[in-house]
Amino acid sequence: MTEFELIQGLRNGDESAFRYLVDTYQNRVFNTAMGIVQNAEDAEDVAQEVFIQVFRSIGSFKAESKLSTWIYRITTTRSLDLLRSRKSKKRFGFIQRLLGEDNEPTQDIPDFNHPGVELDRKENAARLFKVIGKLPENQKIAFTLHKLEDLSYQEVSEVMQTTVAAVESLMHRAKQNLRKLLEKELE
Amino acid sequence: MNTNKENRIDEILNSLDGCTQATAPDFFYTRLKARMEKEVAPAARTSWMLRPAYAFAGMAIILLINVLAVFNQPGTEDNTATSEVDTFQSLASEYRLNEGNSSISMYNLNQDK
Repeated sequence: MTEFELIQGLRNGDESAFRYLVDTYQNRVFNTAMGIVQNAEDAEDVAQEVFIQVFRSIGSFKAESKLSTWIYRITTTRSLDLLRSRKSKKRFGFIQRLLGEDNEPTQDIPDFNHPGVELDRKENAARLFKVIGKLPENQKIAFTLHKLEDLSYQEVSEVMQTTVAAVESLMHRAKQNLRKLLEKELE
Repeated sequence: MNTNKENRIDEILNSLDGCTQATAPDFFYTRLKARMEKEVAPAARTSWMLRPAYAFAGMAIILLINVLAVFNQPGTEDNTATSEVDTFQSLASEYRLNEGNSSISMYNLNQDK
């Protein structure tokens, strides 16, 4: 099935086209979401939301970019939304604890282990993911798409709707920040 | 910064090299379809309000409440009484019942008794 046929099928509400779309992109979407939200359950939730959004708004897709680029864009946006809502819940929980309304002890988020990392690198990768989580949003997206999804700077720039030079700069700053954060971690 | 620490940081930074793609969990499509159907269902469930029986019952209740509200307004009775007197007076003057005809009607009424 060509991309054009797939888009036409989706626009016509063809279920086999939707099935093909999910089969083709589910791992890319899940892997990207996993790198950003760093939790398998949340990543599945995000992936489901992404496909639902693709299905519902395929009519507004103008095909100015590749379908994969559009899907990556939705995935990163949805993942960041989840991180923001997680943060606001955390803040709300903190206020509740201050007011004495919720006396449950806070649970520390366990280290994230990406299933695709080789066994002997798991400990280092967990440390890296911990500091990736502290990066500014755009640096986090650029780093995740490039390192985890193996997208070129050109592809990352298309997803992020920016220039290749901007992505290069983001990656450079991301690496610098990660280095600083790791220095602190290792002290 | 000492070299050991720098090497350690490089090691951590390169830990994602050669990392394979995480695969979506089994039955992802089945769960996705179930969620999509579940998200459509609530809209259908709310349509019971649009059934004629419920719609008419609701309208009847609203009408009843309105009627009760109108008749239970304070001071309604006084106003009605005044307006009724006005109406009778205007009718009486219009048909000249206050003049000669009134005696006929009184006479007739007395005769009935």
